[in-house]
Amino acid sequence: MNRALRRRLANYIFVGACLLATGLAVLSLTSLFISLFWNGFSGLNMLTLTKDSGLIAAQDPNGPQLGGLYDGIVGSLVMSILAMVAALFIGIFAGTWLAEYAGESHTGNIIRFLNDVLLSAPSILVGLAVYTYIFIVMTWHNTPQYTYSGLAGAAALAILALPVIVRTTEDMLLLQPAQLREAGVALGASRGLVIRQIIWRAARTGLLTGGLLAFARISGETAPLLFTAFGNGQSIALRHFISGIADKTSALPLLINSLYQSPLTVNFAWTAALLISLAVLAVNILGRFLARGSRHS
Amino acid sequence: MGSAMGSQTMGLGSVDATARINRGSWGESLFRSACFGAATFLLVALGGIMLALFVGGWPAFHKFGFGFFFSTAWDVNNDVYGAAVPIFGTIASALISLMIALPLAIGVAVFLTEFCPRVLAQPISTVIDLLAGIPSIVYGMWGFFVFAPLIANHIQLPLESAFDPDSFWGKFFAGVPNGNLLIASVVLAIMILPYMSSVFRELMLSVPASVREAAYGLGCTTFEVVRSVMLPYIRRGMIGGTMLGLGRALGETMAVTFVIGNAHNFPSSLFDATSTIASTIANEFAEASGMRAAALIAMGLVLFLITFVVLAIARLLLRSQKF
Amino acid sequence: MTMNEPLSSASSCDDEPQYMAPPPEENIVLRARKLNFYYGTSQALHEVDLPVEKNKVTALIGPSGCGKSTLLRALNQIYALYPKQRAEGEIIFDGQDVLGGKVRVDSLRERVGMVFQKPTPFPMSIYDNVAFGVRLYHKKSKAQMDELVETSLKRAALWDEVKDKLNALGTGLSGGQQQRLCVARGIAVEPEVLLLDEPASALDPISTAKLEETLTQLKKDITIVIVTHNLQQAARLSDYTGFMFLGKMIEFGPTGALFSTPKSQRTRDYVTGRFG
Repeated sequence: MNRALRRRLANYIFVGACLLATGLAVLSLTSLFISLFWNGFSGLNMLTLTKDSGLIAAQDPNGPQLGGLYDGIVGSLVMSILAMVAALFIGIFAGTWLAEYAGESHTGNIIRFLNDVLLSAPSILVGLAVYTYIFIVMTWHNTPQYTYSGLAGAAALAILALPVIVRTTEDMLLLQPAQLREAGVALGASRGLVIRQIIWRAARTGLLTGGLLAFARISGETAPLLFTAFGNGQSIALRHFISGIADKTSALPLLINSLYQSPLTVNFAWTAALLISLAVLAVNILGRFLARGSRHS
Repeated sequence: MGSAMGSQTMGLGSVDATARINRGSWGESLFRSACFGAATFLLVALGGIMLALFVGGWPAFHKFGFGFFFSTAWDVNNDVYGAAVPIFGTIASALISLMIALPLAIGVAVFLTEFCPRVLAQPISTVIDLLAGIPSIVYGMWGFFVFAPLIANHIQLPLESAFDPDSFWGKFFAGVPNGNLLIASVVLAIMILPYMSSVFRELMLSVPASVREAAYGLGCTTFEVVRSVMLPYIRRGMIGGTMLGLGRALGETMAVTFVIGNAHNFPSSLFDATSTIASTIANEFAEASGMRAAALIAMGLVLFLITFVVLAIARLLLRSQKF
Repeated sequence: MTMNEPLSSASSCDDEPQYMAPPPEENIVLRARKLNFYYGTSQALHEVDLPVEKNKVTALIGPSGCGKSTLLRALNQIYALYPKQRAEGEIIFDGQDVLGGKVRVDSLRERVGMVFQKPTPFPMSIYDNVAFGVRLYHKKSKAQMDELVETSLKRAALWDEVKDKLNALGTGLSGGQQQRLCVARGIAVEPEVLLLDEPASALDPISTAKLEETLTQLKKDITIVIVTHNLQQAARLSDYTGFMFLGKMIEFGPTGALFSTPKSQRTRDYVTGRFG
């Protein structure tokens, strides 16, 4: 076989392999989506969206399925939002410090590295650590009934959202032109005032995008909630919000984890999986859309 | 108004001039401290996690010593635990998933940057990026209900029965049909594939057009350009991206828990059930107490240290190329 | 200081700065004296002297990288944002040495404003852009502030174009309008000196003409220092011109004299277009 032919043949094989790889990836991911819709779509109805999972009549294969996923939806929303409030508050300040004050200093680089470590720490370990602290405190305080709570779940989720927000805040603030800072400072405004009134405002779309991406990341997390929020068949009653959030709290991913195990309830698990996937996709798409818009202006 | 007149009459406000309200400097340092405080919270959070895992796992380290890492025991009745099986399962499943995902991710990235029509490349890569955000428990469900039965019914079981159970191939294909090391690895691979391929694609797009054009100009085929020019150019970044993918595979919990079989033994074949650190914790921690809980937390610390090392290497390699 | 002596004495042989008819001492409002400036270890300004006369326009010209922007950035201490940049020598404003460390930087910047090369509208409404600086220093009633915003925009020759959309975002204006908005923002705090760093370099000819008109109006009651690449612009606008080269002030004098009868060969080459 001559050299030219061999080279061409190698190229064909390579191109074929790349096509095959893309095909396999697309195929498996399509399969995932088809099975999600196929199994989960039929369960999307008002009953599912408005009734608690504790009412699902698992023992009765023929009886009416009175329950739904309401408690999971509310729990996921409440814990994710609480987590985001805390993470945004701390994360934007921390990201601001990295972007505006830390520079290339030694401390700055250490904090950046720690943030990266936190960003890729296994999420179950975050849940485990939060559990350990709360367990120690509650045992010592002699109130073990409060070991599992929605607040603990929100705390674990906040720690997972934090590094995402820190990272995007730093990136977005660094994108703002130095001239904008100089113009503010040239008027005699202090550094902090320039940051708060000009730089944050100029970067707000980016900050919002970062927040949305972090929200998408935590709202589908299961592992950190296993030993913190634990799960509950009943929704948090908004009237008794405080006592509800201090108790075991339901979440969509936790519902998937318990409902998939019985053939009688597995359809609810599929519907929950579809719901959470759609929500995460929607938030991600919104975030990307905003990011694209801000890049153009 | 008073301050306006002050600035007229006082000349330049010097440090000790008091006519002007000293606005800013106090609030300024407060704001700066708030920012720094928030930044140090990252240190507190990370240190807190490590401390919790260390304190919680200490009884197990203390009782079993170094033997903890090498023992395969998991005896709830006698309260004797070892981490060897989950550690092995964690590393094995992550490495196998990497062996599957790495060539696929390179293939996808090359396809998207070199062959794919421009109109399609952007939407396809956006879709792939979005898939990286799908919650892992959804991948787990898909693996458990769709992928695992598919492999079991159409590949493993027919092959297992086609060979003599005592022959090499018979042993190779023997195992647990619905949850095993291979299925867990494939599901992991599918999970980290979108992430890795989008990192690789970004890297390939960062290769200067002139470099690629120069190679094509010499008459190189696409394969030769990719192999001899592109891949060497982005090698460091690729290793870094791969390590980040590995980090994710190591710490992944829910997807693996669904499909690895959760057995406390070394897998006798690719198709045998085993467990990982994360899956063991997810499965057993809720019902564990005392020494068993300590052993699980101790394994958590081990997992943390493994991912920490992998991440540190990845960051070192990616330092020049920011991701 | 001692380190620089060999440098300055060496340079004095060939490039002794030429000062023709400097402004009368009592009219000088801002002056740099023996100013050295460093970016880290590299020196960008060498022993620069610059006298700025009250209510006149002083132009700084010279090829790229000659240090004219650096000099401007030293005058209101904007370089202090960057830890590795430092200035040595004297910058005297209102009888006090700005570099002495005794002057509050924000008071200096209230009275010495700056407009940058690229328009830098803040991400807020046109009204808030103009009011931003004022709010730093004075508490004003709504009516007072409205009036001040209007006068500032009028003085910057922007009022007629934006009076119906004061609540629109400043970033939505055209480039030329943005730059005049920045001028309005700068003069709203009623500075005594306004520094302009190539304010027209990012603008089209029509916007440039408008901006120049604005500056001509302003010089009645504000002292202006302008860095420009455009020699015609310097000739049109300024009363005094300084020519800089490689971080040194080569020649300084009344604009007409500097352009028609420069003393230094370098200046002559530059203003006749032989280099730069």
